[in-house]
Amino acid sequence: MWKILKIAQREYLDVVKTKTFILSILFTPAIIGIVIFVSGRTQRSVTGPRPPREVAVADLTNQLTDEIKDSFEQHNESNPQRQILLQELLSDTSSDEPIKQKVRDGQLNAYFVLDKDSVEGTGKIQSFTRSTKIIDLDLISNVENLLNSAIFNRRCKLKDVSQELLAQIGELRRQVPSEIIDIGSASEQKRINKGEQIAKTMASFFFMFMMFMGIFGMGQHMLTSVIEEKNSRVIEVLLSAVSPFELMTGKILGLAGISLTVMSLWSAAAIGSAYYGAAHWWNITLELPIGILPYFVIYFILGFIMFSSFLAGIGSICNTIKESQSLMMPISIIFILPMVAWFHLAQQPDGPLARVLSFVPPLTPIVMTLRLAASRDISFLEIFASIILLAVFVPIVMWLAAKVFRTGILMYGKRPGPREVLRWLKQS
Amino acid sequence: MEAVVLENVCKSFGEVHAVDKLNVQVPAGSVYGFLGPNGAGKTTTIRMIMNIIQPDSGQIKIFDDGAITQAKARIGYMPEERGLYRKMKVGKVLAYFGAIKGLSASKLNFRVPQWLQRLDLAGWTNKKVEELSRGMHQKLQFAVMAINEPDLLILDEPFSGLDPVNQDLLTDIICRMRDEGRTILFSTHVMHEAERLCDFILLINKGKAVLDGKLDEIRSRYKSGVVSVELEGDTSFIRTLPMVKTAETQGRRIEISLSEKADTQDLLKALVGRVRVKAFEVKMPSLHEIFVRLVHASQYIGRDNVEDS
Repeated sequence: MWKILKIAQREYLDVVKTKTFILSILFTPAIIGIVIFVSGRTQRSVTGPRPPREVAVADLTNQLTDEIKDSFEQHNESNPQRQILLQELLSDTSSDEPIKQKVRDGQLNAYFVLDKDSVEGTGKIQSFTRSTKIIDLDLISNVENLLNSAIFNRRCKLKDVSQELLAQIGELRRQVPSEIIDIGSASEQKRINKGEQIAKTMASFFFMFMMFMGIFGMGQHMLTSVIEEKNSRVIEVLLSAVSPFELMTGKILGLAGISLTVMSLWSAAAIGSAYYGAAHWWNITLELPIGILPYFVIYFILGFIMFSSFLAGIGSICNTIKESQSLMMPISIIFILPMVAWFHLAQQPDGPLARVLSFVPPLTPIVMTLRLAASRDISFLEIFASIILLAVFVPIVMWLAAKVFRTGILMYGKRPGPREVLRWLKQS
Repeated sequence: MEAVVLENVCKSFGEVHAVDKLNVQVPAGSVYGFLGPNGAGKTTTIRMIMNIIQPDSGQIKIFDDGAITQAKARIGYMPEERGLYRKMKVGKVLAYFGAIKGLSASKLNFRVPQWLQRLDLAGWTNKKVEELSRGMHQKLQFAVMAINEPDLLILDEPFSGLDPVNQDLLTDIICRMRDEGRTILFSTHVMHEAERLCDFILLINKGKAVLDGKLDEIRSRYKSGVVSVELEGDTSFIRTLPMVKTAETQGRRIEISLSEKADTQDLLKALVGRVRVKAFEVKMPSLHEIFVRLVHASQYIGRDNVEDS
């Protein structure tokens, strides 16, 4: 046991002390921080004041001049921070080339043409813009609404609908405000706004991503470490002092330590800045599932041991990282599966797909993390069963990996084929 | 008592019999040399002793109690392929291997500087392994092997790549460790290294033992019957002596080749009184000569016995 700890310690320090590692540790939270900061800023700019937009309209119906002007005025009165200025109102398109040129030059944000029979018949609104920026789509739909309300008003006038009736209809059409209330815990009812809903989904993704990075991303160190020892021929000296199993176990422990270090640092940085951002910018209360953290730790440890044992086996039969990558391909595809399906899984944490994937041992840690973060309703029985399944599966993987490792680590030259590896597995 | 015993050990790689029915007894407290040309099976044998590869058949016993797994703490091994963690510092590497060999921190504090001192590496303690020259790397590898002061040292080609000064340094350390009662088993294809160090040798060729035993006995068994003398006076009578086959003048010395069954003492008696004997040396065959003779013999066996004449 002492030897295993010594090996783990060296493995840990070997990686942790390198400059690239320290940089990557600092770099990732910095990026997370910047993303949160910038998104907080842009959030404010979406609701904050914006320079007025300038448009031109060609009204081919020749009967909407007043209504259109009224619509724009009303809009600008009620949205002083989101003004849309009607720079020109034409009555035909014969001389609109200079207008289009202004749109191309960026002097106008957009130019709209209202078809001749828009009021009575099936004419349509054409919008001319320079480039379709997201902000412009926003503008276009706004102007379309304004033009539609102008047409609506004109139609009402033609049908002699009185202004009073119109006001009454407007009053009758007012929207009923809504709110979502979380009754997850019986004692406490909580209002959720949209931001919190999004934050909750993102949090479940974050936890899953951390699990994925912690197991899959950090596990790669195993390959590097094994192949390096193999190439530098240090392995024979090591094996004169320790058994292959001790060596492999020590490596897994050391790398798990590294991964835990990274995970805690990143999580602390991400959760800290998320709380800060939530409180200062988004005006939402974040509720992170702290209660299920112990499960995450269990899933992480089991998942890490499983995956890194597997990689130790792979690494031991390869001479270069390149060689190992071709063997890694199928594994990577399996692991990326829950990442691809994450939205579906987060939306339906109790759905059949989520349930089935939870009991595919290599995927259990990632899928279960996502489900636990997305829903409070995962039955304890299911959690328990998945942990037991993993706990049975992990020693089997370790045992098989140790068999391959024992022989592979001392083989140089050509990579052994599947048949040979199978033979090693059969050896006692 | 035997430190290592091999009984009928065989190992094949595909069609090639790397080691073929090898029997070895390494007496405790001796320096034992595995000699042989490249590809003779020395490294394979050592790797089997170290349990790195398993023999196809036969038995290997270490310290009489069988498996190496129990004996690991008492063994130091220096493989043929040298390798250490390149990015680690010299002192740290040595301490790490000491630790995984089960040495306590207090022992390490004492032994790491001590061994670096012994191998002339003290100034390099805080340098990275990759900064060492090949020879220094090799000495560090030796220190890694020796840090737990093992009872049995297994060294695969320990001298390759060392300059004469460092070869002497290593030889001194090995001799001292032998004097402390440790057993040293090493392989080499350089015969004079073996001659300088070994109490016992095993000559291997193509996986088979060609010759083994005490070095002194082997040399006297294969003595060539050549005496080198330096004489003062008229030496022309020598060729007429009955036990002399040929006599050749080589500078100031005369190389006298004796006929079979002749005793060197009779030659000395015949010389004393007639000339002044300034030097009289019974020439022992070098291992090199013995080796070449035996290997050639086994290679040409069945064709003719020209080499034995």
